[in-house]
Amino acid sequence: MKRLKWRLNSNRSLIYIGAGLLALQASFPFLWMVSTSFKPPAEVFAQPPAFIPQEPTWDNFRRLFTTTNFLIYFKNSLVVSGSAVLLTMIVSAAGAYSLTRYQYMGREKIAGLILCTYMFAPIMIVIPFFILAKKLGIENTHFALVLAFTSFCLPFTLWLMRAFFATIPLELEEAALVDGAGRVRALVYIVLPLALPGIIATSIFTFILAWNDYIFTRILITSDELKTLPVGVQDLFHSALIDWGLIMAAGMMITIPALLFFLSVQRYLIRGWGAGGVKG
Amino acid sequence: MRRLALMILILSLSWTTFAWAAEKKVVRIWHTETEPQTVAAFQQIINDFEKLNPDITVKQEALAWGDLEAKLTAALAAGAPPDASHGQAVTCASFYAKGLLRDQEDIAEAVGKDNIWEAVRRQCYHGEKYYGIPHSAATSLLIYRKDILKAKGLKTPQTWDELIKVAEAMMEKDKDGRVTRYGLSLPGVGLFINILVGELTKANGGRLFDLATGRPTFTEKPVIEVLDFYKKLSATVLPPGWLGHGYLDTFANLATGKAAMLYQGYGRGAGYIEKYAPKGMANPDHFGVMVKPKGPSGKETAAQIDAEPWMIFKNAKYPEEAAKFLKFFFKEENYIKYLHTVPIHLLPTLKSVRKNPAYQANEMVRKWKEWQDMQYFYFEKDLAKPTLIIDWNDLRLPFGLEILGSGIVPDMVTDAVRGMPSAQAAAKAQARAEELITKLGYKRW
Amino acid sequence: MKKGADPKISSMVPSQESTLPAAPTFVRFWHRIKALQVKKREQIIGLCTIAPALFLILALTLYPVAYSIWLSLLEKHSFFPQERFVGLENYIYLWHDPEFWNSLWLGVVYSVWTIIFQIILGVAAALILNETFVGRGLVRAIVLFPYMIPTIVAVILWKWLLNDTYGIVNYWLLACGIVTAPVSWLGPDHIMFSVILMSIWQFFPFVLLSILARLQTIPPELYEAAKVDGASAVRRFLHVTLPQIRGILFVVILLRSIWMFTKFDTVWLMGEGAGAGRFIRTLPVYAYMRTLTYYQAGLGAALAVIMFAILVVCTVIYFRMFREEADIG
Repeated sequence: MKRLKWRLNSNRSLIYIGAGLLALQASFPFLWMVSTSFKPPAEVFAQPPAFIPQEPTWDNFRRLFTTTNFLIYFKNSLVVSGSAVLLTMIVSAAGAYSLTRYQYMGREKIAGLILCTYMFAPIMIVIPFFILAKKLGIENTHFALVLAFTSFCLPFTLWLMRAFFATIPLELEEAALVDGAGRVRALVYIVLPLALPGIIATSIFTFILAWNDYIFTRILITSDELKTLPVGVQDLFHSALIDWGLIMAAGMMITIPALLFFLSVQRYLIRGWGAGGVKG
Repeated sequence: MRRLALMILILSLSWTTFAWAAEKKVVRIWHTETEPQTVAAFQQIINDFEKLNPDITVKQEALAWGDLEAKLTAALAAGAPPDASHGQAVTCASFYAKGLLRDQEDIAEAVGKDNIWEAVRRQCYHGEKYYGIPHSAATSLLIYRKDILKAKGLKTPQTWDELIKVAEAMMEKDKDGRVTRYGLSLPGVGLFINILVGELTKANGGRLFDLATGRPTFTEKPVIEVLDFYKKLSATVLPPGWLGHGYLDTFANLATGKAAMLYQGYGRGAGYIEKYAPKGMANPDHFGVMVKPKGPSGKETAAQIDAEPWMIFKNAKYPEEAAKFLKFFFKEENYIKYLHTVPIHLLPTLKSVRKNPAYQANEMVRKWKEWQDMQYFYFEKDLAKPTLIIDWNDLRLPFGLEILGSGIVPDMVTDAVRGMPSAQAAAKAQARAEELITKLGYKRW
Repeated sequence: MKKGADPKISSMVPSQESTLPAAPTFVRFWHRIKALQVKKREQIIGLCTIAPALFLILALTLYPVAYSIWLSLLEKHSFFPQERFVGLENYIYLWHDPEFWNSLWLGVVYSVWTIIFQIILGVAAALILNETFVGRGLVRAIVLFPYMIPTIVAVILWKWLLNDTYGIVNYWLLACGIVTAPVSWLGPDHIMFSVILMSIWQFFPFVLLSILARLQTIPPELYEAAKVDGASAVRRFLHVTLPQIRGILFVVILLRSIWMFTKFDTVWLMGEGAGAGRFIRTLPVYAYMRTLTYYQAGLGAALAVIMFAILVVCTVIYFRMFREEADIG
């Protein structure tokens, strides 16, 4: 009995150590970023480096908000990523529903096609996409960016949504139909509530994909006020004499909102991911 | 009720057509001066211009130095270039050769053709016409710790070997034998390696491309000696990780005392030193500039010109309006405002401005005069040339832009520094460069 | 859950399954046509709902890809209107290009190392976070950060941490005596290691999340049964957990492999192609350089097509090898 208890305790402590290490490796770089963002220029390069700044200052943040276009980049990122996710989710939900609920020619081929599109490196798509955008007269617009994000998010969401919808048994809808509900009502009252965790999880992952895009924005957007965060921050980083303190402040302002958001939805993410996960 | 609605409809329609007819012209200007104070000053100039020209709106776009060529490429490929932009001299030459630029003779007349500083007239001057007038002028600088040099009783080096000796003497080690101060700091970024190879080759009396045929001459003695110099620097006075250092890192190293010299410093660095060096040390008594040494096969030294010409694109939407703006930009009171934002780096293109007491009356100009004078020295003696250019006539070679972007020259240096014999690294780069030029259709040998 | 629809619905909508009375032939015929029409209507609805997705994929992905393939057969300057049809010449050129083979090798090295460790760490972390303990919710949220931030932020962060003179990593290594001289993590010798480390750090949360979600749906009874049988923790993992996560593992390995092999942002931003970046010039980076720094769009497109071909071949082999797991809903 004692031996078992010891075993259990050591297992528990192993788990706590593991969890602690996990939290540490993820959070330490950010804590260092926070620390640097509050340091005045002289302390940034001080040796030995100190964790707590001796003279903490808000100056880096002040400069970030007043002398750079950081807030504009942030707004752009939100707007463009949000729009892309909305468009993608609507189209892919419809598409996934179609793939799992209706019979028609070529249905299976379409599924294979989706997998194929994963394998095109963005590099392959960027320049032709740019030329296409120019032909349509939409280069250097947010609309083109939304379409660009859709191009690489759509296969991802379509595949995931298809997996989610497939796990919702057809019998439930059929029962609803027998009871006299129309297709649409069955969709709204039966399928969607069950698929909701999956929809939320997919939306979040898609948002991250769009939020993080670098190369499409780099090529399509040339005006400073239309840039999204990844490109805007890189340009700040390359600007002559922009300093580490300010860059770390920028990093912090990108991470904190994301952290808060994630804290609130992490439960849905994990539940949703599992609910519609792959069989097997 | 219906009549009211109809009236509103007519009014709004006429208002929109009126607005559309009086639509503003939007001129897009790209430049590489990203420092916030320069962007702000430029915006002020724009605002003043817009007041005088209510039908024109000007939008500025500040890009990072290394990003400009790539973005211009993409914009041109889309047929939607900005109306005006900065660019390297080789870029300007390339675009001129493809017939993309509007000439700037009218702007040159407006500022006074004789008023343009001789030293930078040829930045983008082709077929007897101006195709680009530089927004400012600067050269690269050899910045060093004057106080340490004096303390150790060292003399200014005249040759490369002397430079290495001096740099070694300025190094510091701690009690465990670890280096606390390196002799020299260089950026390992592709663009800067391109710049330095051009400088060093010129200072070694060599050429990178044959003037008549355009054939690369990497395998000739002067260039091989440049590679040997890099090898020696890497082995003795440079930090071991220098290939991974950025431009920013080198200034940080100098300001905090981790390096004693910067071969690729610029006037802008004065601002950086003021920000990061210990108080009391941020002055030319501690951070001075010296004349760059010459190579074993060279007769005189060399530096690089950083003076991007303004380019106006023929096929852009509003090239004439862009020209109008540039004329306004070069007006003395506006131009001085611009130059004063980074005074040690942005030297005036116009001689009259340089003499203007309003320009001279600037704190930093007075304090760091030594740095300005050194740049004027290089210019006056025609020792400075643009990136990868040995002789002004090299600007006639049409493939400068592609060679610059290809990374062939930085790869050559990386190979040599990592142990490949210099002759072999040069031969490899030679072959790659010849292949690229041939593929571009410019082979003439 | 109650089987069937909302009771309000059934009272409002007339029942579709109408009983066919002993009606005249005409009426029966009419109903049969109606049934056929319904089937056809269903087909049309099905096609209509997949149409937007199909259209977008065709326009936004397949058209650019087709154009890319065409581009790879040309010798074209990236921004000047010089172009010349050269057939397979670009591919032959690349076959003889040492830089191509170098970048292929670097790409493979990068992909293999990052994938292996992403999977191992992701699974291990998922197992840990599947257990209940105090603060689990917080740890689960924190551990996802690296995946959420834009790559540029992660790159800047790590460049700062690994800075050879001022970075905290070197400071600690020196202070603890693990090394005697500062290590240049971003220099030619170690930059590949650094970018691999950074990529693992950034992307393993994706694996973690996927596996964890699946673990949460494994009925605890299976574990209880195994425990009763006296199985150790390792045994339980091999015989209960592993079979259950095979499916999702198959998908995750496939996805991460594709994404790491074609990864551009992280690698490019760490090294920018030249200087020390030469040592992480993977295939996607080389394709980018050929198009946008050498200005040779044809060669760049050819490189992209080669990448695609390699991926297709590998994916086919992968599916063949793990046929059983390829049961994707």
